Amino acid sequence: MVIVGAGIVGVSTAYFLKRAGVSVRLVEARAPAAAATGAADGAVSVASKRPGPMMATATAGIRLYRELTAEGVLDGLFFTRSTFLVAVDDAEAEVLATHAAALAASGVSVERLTNERLRALAPSLSADVRAAAEVREEGHAIGYEIVRRLIARAGLAVERGVRVDALVADPRTGRVTGLDTGAGRIEAEAVVIAAGGGSADLLGLSGVLRARRGQLLVTERAPALNAGLPGAIMSARYLLSKASAPGAAPAASARGYGLVIDPLRTGQFLVGGTRENDAARPDTDAEAVAHILRDALRLVPGLASVRLLRTFAGLRTAVVDGLPLVGAVPGRAGLHVATGFEGDGICLGPLMGRSIARLLLGEDPGVDLAPFDPARFREGRAAA
Amino acid sequence: MTDPDLLVIGGGPAGIAAAVRAADAGASVMLVEMRPALGGAFHRRPIEGVEPWPIGREGERRWARLDEGLVRTGIVPRLRTAFLGLDGAGAALLEDRVAGRVEACHPRAIILATGALESVRPRPGWHRPGVVTAGGLQVMMKETGRIPEGRILLAGSGPLLIALAGQLTARGRPPVAVVEAADPFTEMVAGLGLLAHPRHLAEAAVHLGRLALARVPWRRATVLEAITPKGDAFEVRLRDRRGRRTTLEVDHVALHDGIRPNDHGLPAANETPGAGPIVVSAGDGREVLGVVAAEIDGERAADRALALIDGRPEATRDHLRRLARERHAQAVLARVFAPARPLDPLETLPDDTVLCRCEGRTVGDLKVLFTGADTPAGREIKLTGRFAMGLCQGRFCAHWVAEASARLGPDAPAPRPRDLTGDRWPARPVPIAALAAVPDAPKR
Ligand SMILES: Cc1cc2nc3c(=O)[nH]c(=O)nc-3n(C[C@H](O)[C@H](O)[C@H](O)COP(=O)(O)OP(=O)(O)OC[C@H]3O[C@@H](n4cnc5c(N)ncnc54)[C@H](O)[C@@H]3O)c2cc1C
Ligand SMILES: Cc1cc2nc3c(=O)[nH]c(=O)nc-3n(C[C@H](O)[C@H](O)[C@H](O)COP(=O)(O)OP(=O)(O)OC[C@H]3O[C@@H](n4cnc5c(N)ncnc54)[C@H](O)[C@@H]3O)c2cc1C
Repeated sequence: MVIVGAGIVGVSTAYFLKRAGVSVRLVEARAPAAAATGAADGAVSVASKRPGPMMATATAGIRLYRELTAEGVLDGLFFTRSTFLVAVDDAEAEVLATHAAALAASGVSVERLTNERLRALAPSLSADVRAAAEVREEGHAIGYEIVRRLIARAGLAVERGVRVDALVADPRTGRVTGLDTGAGRIEAEAVVIAAGGGSADLLGLSGVLRARRGQLLVTERAPALNAGLPGAIMSARYLLSKASAPGAAPAASARGYGLVIDPLRTGQFLVGGTRENDAARPDTDAEAVAHILRDALRLVPGLASVRLLRTFAGLRTAVVDGLPLVGAVPGRAGLHVATGFEGDGICLGPLMGRSIARLLLGEDPGVDLAPFDPARFREGRAAA
Repeated sequence: MTDPDLLVIGGGPAGIAAAVRAADAGASVMLVEMRPALGGAFHRRPIEGVEPWPIGREGERRWARLDEGLVRTGIVPRLRTAFLGLDGAGAALLEDRVAGRVEACHPRAIILATGALESVRPRPGWHRPGVVTAGGLQVMMKETGRIPEGRILLAGSGPLLIALAGQLTARGRPPVAVVEAADPFTEMVAGLGLLAHPRHLAEAAVHLGRLALARVPWRRATVLEAITPKGDAFEVRLRDRRGRRTTLEVDHVALHDGIRPNDHGLPAANETPGAGPIVVSAGDGREVLGVVAAEIDGERAADRALALIDGRPEATRDHLRRLARERHAQAVLARVFAPARPLDPLETLPDDTVLCRCEGRTVGDLKVLFTGADTPAGREIKLTGRFAMGLCQGRFCAHWVAEASARLGPDAPAPRPRDLTGDRWPARPVPIAALAAVPDAPKR
């Protein structure tokens, strides 16, 4: 079996196949975690998910992280903590209330906090914050660390620098028999495309998949300020930008500014970000960064004197209808796809990798993949 | 702020020469320097109220000429202003450290004249507080006129060590010793090459003469192996050409292992009109050729930048001829200071030697990354090993981590320092309040 793409999804798929005793090849155009997986915040979180299949799948995704950690596989890489949804004005407070209710309705542990309780829990937060909810039992994991660990655990040797140019198929049956790559042809009985932004070209899905840029910032260590934030701070505006909240309009600005302030375990902060359509390159610009920082200062004023170390950006691969693309590709026997996780692939990656591995092994994937079925984009079905 | 035709980064000889040349040709010029005073590594001016450091009659003449050029053209340099890089939208970002504000500016061309970075090889104890670089010590002397109290040891390799030792001696504070890994002047042919460059030879002779008079030992073909704190002082272990080890007790250690172009976090050259601002580099930031070459190269770079934005003719031939001469001198110096023995960092360094000073990552931490079936590439070494991720953004360690990684994973493509440091802005850490001050760009 050949897996294309060594992001968190491809590596997870390879890991679970290897664990089941199947030999796999993992081909990667650049290097593991070279794309979205290496340019993400690591929220393993349900707090921002839209009610419905995404919320349910994210909950299962967090559960798998917990299991893998208990087994020792992700020991020291996954940490449980809360996410704090916060609002600074009426519009945000309204979104926050609706969203917290939706989370509670789907069984997530969430609690509205009084101002006193919030100040006690999170002294680094500004007094401007007027409403907050704590979403419990969430977690954080860094994409590139998960990838590196799974590669080591499975004893995989990633075939780096091998770009897949095209699928090779039997002209009569449509069955996929291999791949044409920069390093020659590779024969394959089964192929999994987990190529993130490279998937569209391989599958002919350019109308279905699109890139959404996110810009992120990392500060120097500021241990005292960091200790005053017990978990990720997510502005209710982020829900608006992500259009997660029921009834929320799509991102108000072209930049899709949202705000998450993540206190990292190193004492640093990761601050993001944007959700920009049709950005060709993963680069950052001062206008967006300054905008994000002004929003961040409003929530955590103590950041003013902290220095910014790095800025970086990644391209999220999004599906036009907002749901991922996971499963067998219709009309192409031997071909599976797992991509389109947009801003949720760190949380969902291991679970989706395991699901695809199980499908390939002829087992029950263990999660409901029906909403993510690629067949929905077959000609004449959903509008692309 | 009005956008200049030309933005010049760095107020050393290369930057000043470039700015003056471009202004003389009629271009509007902005010259920025992050330190409180102009001058760069060699001509570093003292802070207010301190006597300038003597740099020799020829040096004084060169500086007077640069200064006169600034006065004549009316260029007012912006001091304490750091260039942070080019952002994805093509804006040049300047951090005004006096106002505490970052500004975005849109010049037509940028000249990077950011000088050289000092190399310091990792050794056990090199990261301890109190261990400085020779260049750092020199900057302190030139800016403040002060020399730290106590016994000073200079160690590493390169002509700067003798120059600094000579300067310390002239101030009545000779170092305890100069420890030099190379064995200069053993190779007659290489040494004789210097005869073609009397300026360099004379400079070396002056410094060495001073050291001989003050009986400062110049311990050649000797390496400083380790630095251990001992009370308020340090005990250093030296190994000479025969492998004999000795120890010395000193109060200060200044290390130096040569210099290399400072392109850290800076944009790559861009000579394609229409693809963002033109970027040309000059001086030691382009190629380490020394202080005389820096001035020539600054003029060349100004001509080049103006040719690219306005199609003005370049007068390159004379510049290139003079640069070639300086390049020859540097090549001779490099041969004179060639290491007595090839230095393999991994052979000689114990696993607990710190490579990354900011995050305390060690040689052992690096080796661990190379134990599995899968050999990590540059960016993975950075991310999963946490090398080059600290406050210095890899300025000190990226070079050595890349070199050591190439040895640890000989079958994989050798990582470049740039794979570890990346080339994204900000080129230097910047306070969040300053960066938050960048206004939204006007709608275009
Ligand atoms: C700024 C930002 C913040 C984010 N924050 C979070 C978060 O907090 N929580 C969360 O859960 N998710 C987050 N995400 C989303 C998450 O990063 C992605 O959903 C996830 O990494 C996708 O993983 P992947 O394996 O599908 O794709 P990728 O990581 O993009 O991997 C695809 C791989 O395929 C390779 N490839 C592409 N084309 C080819 C080809 N033709 N041949 C061979 N190889 C090819 C690429 O080089 C790449 O390595 C964020 C994303 C961004 C950009
Ligand atoms: C530590 C050290 C000691 C040296 N000692 C000698 C010596 O004794 N004799 C000798 O002949 N040569 C010496 N040199 C070589 C010397 O650097 C060159 O000969 C000469 O100074 C090069 O001129 P330049 O203009 O290219 O760079 P520099 O003179 O180094 O000037 C570069 C300037 O750019 C500024 N700068 C850098 N980055 C930024 C930024 N991002 N934003 C704003 N400003 C910035 C720096 O502060 C600096 O002032 C030394 C070099 C170093 C590094």
